[in-house]
Amino acid sequence: MASSEAPFQLKDLLTPATIRLHVAASDPGQVIREAGQLLLASGAIEERYIEAMQQALQTYGPYMVIVPGVALLHARPSDGVKRPCISLLTLEPPVPFGNEDNDPVKIAIAFGAVDRQKHLQALTMLTQLLANEQALSAIQASTSAEEVMHIIAAASPA
Amino acid sequence: MKILAVCGMGFGSSLVLRMTIEDVLKAAGLKAQVVVSDIGTARSEQADIIVTSAEFARLLADRGIPIVVIKNYVDRKEMKEKLLPLVKGS
Repeated sequence: MASSEAPFQLKDLLTPATIRLHVAASDPGQVIREAGQLLLASGAIEERYIEAMQQALQTYGPYMVIVPGVALLHARPSDGVKRPCISLLTLEPPVPFGNEDNDPVKIAIAFGAVDRQKHLQALTMLTQLLANEQALSAIQASTSAEEVMHIIAAASPA
Repeated sequence: MKILAVCGMGFGSSLVLRMTIEDVLKAAGLKAQVVVSDIGTARSEQADIIVTSAEFARLLADRGIPIVVIKNYVDRKEMKEKLLPLVKGS
């Protein structure tokens, strides 16, 4: 398999540089700005992608809180994604998004996809992580990005 | 049997939903085609069962297709309890 064809693992896309812990955000808009800034700083998106994520939340509502305490934030590939990317924030204090079942959000994960395939492997590993309540609690309690990477590696073996 | 996993844009939540659906079907020894869709396409795409969140279920209620409303997209127990009776019954 050519290297360009190799699927991205979660650890390829989520790195210490795209993790920020104990972020104090006043509302969902600020959560998206903070998570988007990490992707922008990594060079994986254009700035307009952050605005597109804001629009997506307004258009489609808080369903993006797909697991109790966890929001999965994103927009479309055509909104300015240069390459697949993922960022993660832990929120202190938790932020209500208006999802009556799964609020408040303690972990926000933002991602950019270029199609429905290239980020799929990473998303599969992320799904395993989201189903692991112990790992999610450990991530919330983490004090360093490296610690988060260790928890993720242990929870989603490649 | 075709199951449609629906979210807003078809690149995130619906892919997560598809994984949970496929896991539950596989564990039950059942086979079905599971297709992801954004909410716009879902209004016209043919399917036997739709799986989505409460907000999108409201927008698709007029299609006359059974809809499974999911709260936790990675909870296999919830998916199993809500989806399998419809798959087995059809």
